[in-house]
Amino acid sequence: MATTPDTNAADAVASENASLQHINADYTERYGFHDAENYLYKAPKGLTRELVEKISEFKSEPQWMREFRLKALDHFLARPMPTWGSPSLAEVDFDEIHYFVRASERSERSWDDVPEDVKKTFDRLGIPEAERKFLAGVGAQYESEVVYHQVNEQLEAQGVIFTDMDTALREHEDLVKEYFATIIPPNDNKLAALNSAVWSGGSFVYVPPGVHVEMPLQAYFRINTENMGQFERTLILADEGSYVHYVEGCTAPTYSSDSLHSAVVELIAKPGARIRYTTVQNWSNNVFNLVTKRAVAETDATVEWVDCNLGSKLTMKYPSVYLMGERAHGEILSIAFAGHGQHQDAGGKIVHAAPNTTSNIFAKSISKDGGRSSYRGLLEVAKGAHGSKSKVVCDALLLDEDSRSDTYPTIRIGEDDVDVGHEATVSKVGEEQLFYLMSHGLGEEEASKLIVNGFIEPIVKELPMEYAVEMNRLIELQMEGSIG
Amino acid sequence: MADIIEICPLSELPPGARRIVEWEELEIGVFNCGGELFAIEDRCSHDDGPLAEGDFDPDTCTVECPRHGSLFDLRTGKPKTLPAYVPVDTFPVVVEDDIVKLEVD
Repeated sequence: MATTPDTNAADAVASENASLQHINADYTERYGFHDAENYLYKAPKGLTRELVEKISEFKSEPQWMREFRLKALDHFLARPMPTWGSPSLAEVDFDEIHYFVRASERSERSWDDVPEDVKKTFDRLGIPEAERKFLAGVGAQYESEVVYHQVNEQLEAQGVIFTDMDTALREHEDLVKEYFATIIPPNDNKLAALNSAVWSGGSFVYVPPGVHVEMPLQAYFRINTENMGQFERTLILADEGSYVHYVEGCTAPTYSSDSLHSAVVELIAKPGARIRYTTVQNWSNNVFNLVTKRAVAETDATVEWVDCNLGSKLTMKYPSVYLMGERAHGEILSIAFAGHGQHQDAGGKIVHAAPNTTSNIFAKSISKDGGRSSYRGLLEVAKGAHGSKSKVVCDALLLDEDSRSDTYPTIRIGEDDVDVGHEATVSKVGEEQLFYLMSHGLGEEEASKLIVNGFIEPIVKELPMEYAVEMNRLIELQMEGSIG
Repeated sequence: MADIIEICPLSELPPGARRIVEWEELEIGVFNCGGELFAIEDRCSHDDGPLAEGDFDPDTCTVECPRHGSLFDLRTGKPKTLPAYVPVDTFPVVVEDDIVKLEVD
């Protein structure tokens, strides 16, 4: 029997709804599971000088790195907790965190050598499958350290280095020493100081001059244990005229007590290079996500941050680009989705430090079920950066009366000959929009989803297809049950 | 016309030592890097906070801003690390009759 197009469409909708129902079973089902703890080492809770020394000793680090860590610890202890951002920042209890957990002996280059239960976790998260299908390299971090790292052989032959930061320090010490912490010094802020003291894992990428890495490199960060602190450290160096796209994802089990993720990410785009850095942040709602990300773009270089924040209890993250060379370009595309109990304090910073530099910040936030989203941004044009152009657009969508959105834009212009624009909108999903869509046969929930999808589409379309699909799925998951 | 201001006898500013002096509206840090003398404005270009009292490394001839960690080259006044990106002012230092002197304008 032939099926009519209508039947097909109805089947498709039914099937999509069924799959959404399944997805909506809960975060725990898909990402929030946890493994048994068969660890080689798990530090007791709390941060001490002895622990910092022990981490350095475990990793057989050179003396300069050990001293770097200890000095950073002093900075961390001396600095007060920031009082801006979010009231829930005061809930972070640094004494209740495990600062270092070692799950496997070393970073492996074959999944077969990764401890079985850890491998199963990454299988369940689809990482090896994604690696086979569309990635040029993968790093997988479990708790404090990277358990698997592999890069396409052809890229390796071209001189591309993609490894975990601990290995980079051992095998490329001169390169690491030259650039490490030059973009984000340990004393930049309290959380950067903490990361500098206890950093472990993260990625190191070096792309030689003129090499274009066509497929993305991906890192996946997984927290398993309760009250975990994860402090990865990433440094990406794109040499002259090169290109690389780095993608990171993250998830954690759902626990009743809090974990802390505090990364430091430094990007350096040499003249004519381009770096795109994409994040799909999907931590469970008991993770404080307090991250410092900063990039430098030299002459004719481009840096793009595509920053999607869906998970976590509180995220405070403002990726920034310093345009240091003439005609450099910076781009920040940010999506934040704040649901019940969540605060997404996101945004971005651009500093025009050279003439004829250009930048865009496009930030979109959605708040529902009492969630709070904030846009916090800085646009600075230094004296002498004439001919610079920048556009900042931040839009917020509120899905109900209980939710909240704030905008904190700072603009500093030290030069007359510039072209700077700033637009901000806050809108509510209105009765009229819903009525219009529902009069065309959509249910209320579908209509709301459509409005939200249309709202974020300009940014989602910038993601590689596989991630755009994932992003839309995650947004739909967040939207489930929003009507009623 | 540049003014010359006297800082101190050279013996009071040995290698590895520093001194912060005031001149009119300015505060200036004078540093001895292994026998070579350098002077920079005591103001970080990042947020105008004090700079010269930060960690001083005579071996690399740098001072670290105590507020946000930018490392400044004392020879040139240029920041070697972010978040500062604008150089701070430098001043010529001379030693005459064993007295350290600063040229300011």
